This record gives sequence, structure tokens and C-alpha cells, in this order.
Amino acid sequence: MLQLLLTEIKRTWTEFIRYPIEAIAGLVITTFIFYGLFLSARFVAGSQLHLGDRLSTIVVGYVLWTLVLFIVNDIAAALQMEAQTGTLEQIFLSPFGAPKIFLVRTIANLGLRLALILGVLIIIMLFTRTHLYFSLTLLLPLSTLLLGAYGMSFMMGALALVFKRVEQLLGFFRFGLLFLLAVPIATWIAPLRGLGILLPMATGAEELRNLMVRNQSLSLTHFMLALLNGIGYFALGLFVFKWAERQAKRQGILSGY
Amino acid sequence: MTALEAYKLRKTYRQGGKLVEAVRELSLKIEPGEVLAFLGANGAGKTTTIKMIAGLIRPDTGWVKIAGCDPHRNSKALQMLGAVLEGNRNLYWRLTPEENLEYFGVLRGMNRKAAHRRGLALLDRFELLHKRHTPVQALSRGMQQKLAIAVALIHQPRLLLLDEPTLGLDVEASQNVKALVREIAQEGCAILLTTHQLNIAEEISDRVAIVQNGEIIALEPTARIVKQFSDCGYIIEFLGELDDVRTRKIEAIGAVVESQKMIYAGTPEGLYQILNVLSPLPLVQVKQDRADLTKIFLKLIGESRAATVTHGN
Ligand SMILES: Nc1ncnc2c1ncn2[C@@H]1O[C@H](COP(=O)(O)OP(=O)(O)OP(=O)(O)O)[C@@H](O)[C@H]1O
Ligand SMILES: [Mg+2]
Repeated sequence: MLQLLLTEIKRTWTEFIRYPIEAIAGLVITTFIFYGLFLSARFVAGSQLHLGDRLSTIVVGYVLWTLVLFIVNDIAAALQMEAQTGTLEQIFLSPFGAPKIFLVRTIANLGLRLALILGVLIIIMLFTRTHLYFSLTLLLPLSTLLLGAYGMSFMMGALALVFKRVEQLLGFFRFGLLFLLAVPIATWIAPLRGLGILLPMATGAEELRNLMVRNQSLSLTHFMLALLNGIGYFALGLFVFKWAERQAKRQGILSGY
Repeated sequence: MTALEAYKLRKTYRQGGKLVEAVRELSLKIEPGEVLAFLGANGAGKTTTIKMIAGLIRPDTGWVKIAGCDPHRNSKALQMLGAVLEGNRNLYWRLTPEENLEYFGVLRGMNRKAAHRRGLALLDRFELLHKRHTPVQALSRGMQQKLAIAVALIHQPRLLLLDEPTLGLDVEASQNVKALVREIAQEGCAILLTTHQLNIAEEISDRVAIVQNGEIIALEPTARIVKQFSDCGYIIEFLGELDDVRTRKIEAIGAVVESQKMIYAGTPEGLYQILNVLSPLPLVQVKQDRADLTKIFLKLIGESRAATVTHGN
């Protein structure tokens, strides 16, 4: 498993730097986006005193948003890409099984992305002499959010396996995600609130907001709920993906695009 | 142990409300070191069968065993299987041959160092060592195909599935692939390959299976099937005029004389008698009238079709 992860990281990295122009263009775009974010945050915040806090919230929020979006689309995108280049079936021929490989693969992809973003952020911070604050407790609700995101990613992958053309659906899903990450389920009233806990990722996102924006301390019950929610969606995602794999094998459409 | 055993495989696709019986009751066995050529017209069910063997398509009924393991149930079976599938490259375009081999080696459960070492050995053997740092995208079609086969062999499988391995290759590259297939088989790997190039099948296969409408209509050693369909006659071509006396002599031995050519379906002794009579006319060639696989294939397919038609009536 560790070997697989290392190899996957190596492959991701090699593919990324094989065509340097593309890699550099990606870096430049990321840099510009974050620089713009810094400038506008400074403009909006106005008062210099609170700038650090607000900026941190905005930047961290933005990073999370892009990462979650990236994860959720990643498996479906990889499936389509692999089907086009003709390597998809080779993955299904691996004794590790496709779910494990795709999981490891998105983790490697995520690692690469995260490393790039962090690199860009550090450079910008050095140049603009601003500081971002990132409390380590954020990692706890964040992990629940990621679990949910991976679960959703497997579900989107399952759709791509069975229904093939899912670009529109993925586009539509971005809006759904925005809703999920922004719904203030804490303010919902009794029966709805119970349902809100069942929504994917919403509880974790809420807890993150509590920590980052409202400066509250981590609530153990909220965290446990979010964790259960994350694990539940992750398991559900795996289950649905395996179902889709069986379905595709039955219909003979694993690679049929 | 038998490398591959497929028993009564059956697959029916549902497409737009219509049922397509792609494969029906297909059984076959391949022993280690044996090359089986799987022949059949477009849509005969070859790819479907290969993918059922590889565990990529689930058969409706029947089962597959690769060295005793069912690929649909036991992932260990996949470790004994390598496959190059139809029409795609089966490789990462952006990676070099060396990187592809190492990556797929790990994907098949090898450790990285071993995969790397074996990868280099395969590159050397497939004469791709000088290209080991070139991205696959920049390799020729023939090199890509050879590399795809190398990748399928990285974990030393007992069974290799090749779906149209010479498709789109030029003559030299095809010869190259052909030689490799023979070599790999000699080392004990069982090979199942499909091809539409019957001359290639004839040269490299130990046995052929001819499939029509998802059923095997002939499954025999290649040499035997070729012999069976050969007329055992000789064709003798010569230059110059044959006078009447000699023509009559030759006809008496049993040959049919045409201008500058005769056909003789008799014993080798008779053949020498004819040659004696012909002497000293210059000979162009003397050859055995041997059926080739193309003729046999067309004949069998035609007969089987005719049989279905009469059955239908
Ligand atoms: N996923 C699928 N859904 C529905 N029908 C299919 C599917 N795959 C194949 N078929 C049909 O099943 C039959 C057998 O197809 P298959 O691809 O196995 O043939 P083949 O022998 O490999 O042909 P070729 O020589 O053209 O490669 C064909 O009639 C084909 O149209
Ligand atoms: Mg085919």
C-alpha cells in the first residue's frame, strides 16, 4: 500500500513536470489568483488591525473550497481521462482493485496540489510581508470534510463508470457543493436540523466556520458528528463505486466511451 | 497446470431493447507454452471472450480459471495474467518506457526495485533500451506496441492475452512482434491472441480456434488443420513447349497438363518420374499445393453458415 502511494506520487509528479510550460503556467495562474485574493482582501478589510485574521479566513476558506472541489471531481475526471488514453482497463487488471488505486491516486494528486498552493502562499507572504494564521485544530474538522469529499468523489466516479458522459452533471454539482459547504445547518430548526446532519460535508464545514470565522473552540460533539458523517459518506461512496464496477462489468462497458 | 481454462462462457448484451448474443457456450483450454490464435470475423465475440477471461466483463454463465484461479473471484488470478487490449495504447503517454514499466510493475503487486530491474531487462530484450527516456507519445506505433507487450509481461504472468497485437503495424514491426510472441511462449507463458492477419496466425500459433457468432466452429492444431485442408497435390511450373509424346507420358503418370504448368496429385515417386520426363526443360518451381489459413477460414465459415441456413429451413 505504501509502495503504491509512493509510486503514485512519483507518477503524478513526473507527469506534472514532463511538460514544464504547462506546469509553470499552472503555477503562475495559482500565484495570480492568490495575489489577487490578498489585494482584494486588503482592500475590503480596510482597517489594518484586523487584516491578518480576515485575510487568513478568506485565503484558508478559498484553499479549502478549491481542494474539496478538486477532490470531488478527481476520480470521475481520472476515469474519463484513462478511458481516453486506454489505460483504464489496465487499472482494473491490478490485484489491488480499482477503489484502492483511485483512492491512492487522488491522495497523491491532492498532495501535489497542496504542496504547490502552500509554496505559492509562502512566497506571497514573504513578498507582501503578511502573515496567515492556521490553527492546527482546524485539521480535525478538515479531515471529516475530506472524508466526505472522497466519498462524494467515489460516487461521481461511479456515475462516470455507468453513465459515461457526466461533465454536465459535474458542473451542476459544483453549485450543489457550494450549498453544502455554506448551509448554516446550526441555525435550522428541530426536524430540519436532524436532516442537516445527514447532508454530506455540511457538518464538517460548519464546524470549520465556527473555528475560523466565529473564533469558537472545537466542540467535541460537533466534531464527532462530523466524523461519523464523513466516515458514513466515505463508506457509502466506496460501496456505490463497487456496485458501479460490477454493473459496468456486467454490461461490458468498463472502457466503452 | 493448465494455464487457462474457460468453460461454457456465455454473454448476452442488451442494447436498445435488443439482445445481442455475443458469446455462447464457449470453452477452451491452453497449456503453458502454447500459442492459441483466436480467429473470427468482426463481431464474432473475440474481444468479449478475452475480456471475460481477464475479468473485465462478467460472463452470464460459465467460468474462467487462470492457473486454477477464477479472476472474477480471486484477485490472485490477476497476478498470473497480462493483457494488451484492442485498439488502445495501454500505456501512459507522458511517461517514458522505463517509468511505465516500473509503474505497472507496482500496480501488479511487485516491489519497486524488482519492477525497475525487470523493466530494464525487458527493454533490453525488446530492443527499446535506447528509447527508455523518451516519452511514449514520441515513440513509433510499433515501439508502443512492443512496449505494451513488455508492460503486460512485467510481473511474469502465466497467461498473456493479446487482442490484435499487430493491428496497424508495418511489416517489419509485425515480424518483430511475431518473433517476440514465439519467444515468450517458448519460455512457458501461455498466449491467447486474436488477429485478422491469418498468415501471422498460421506462422505463430500452435492451435487455432475459429469463432463464429460466439461459438467455436473449429479448434485444432494449426499444422493439422492446414494439412487436412491441403489437397496434397504438387504444382510444377516450367518454361518452353512440351511436345505431344512427353505430354502423353506425363498424363499417363496421372498429372493434368496445362500450358507451362501441371498439377499432380500422386506419390512422390510419381513426381520424380514426371520430372524425369520433363528434363531438360527449365523448371520455374515445384511446390506442394498447401492450403493457407485464409482459404480454410473462409471455407469453414462458409460451411457453417450454410449449415445454419439449412437448419433454419
Ligand atoms: N458493451 C456492449 N454492448 C452491447 N453490445 C456489445 C458490446 N460489446 C460488444 N457488443 C456486441 O457483441 C458482439 C461481439 O463483439 P466483440 O467486440 O466481442 O467482437 P470481436 O470478435 O472482437 O470483433 P472485432 O473483430 O471487430 O474486434 C458484436 O455484435 C458487438 O456489437
Ligand atoms: Mg475485437
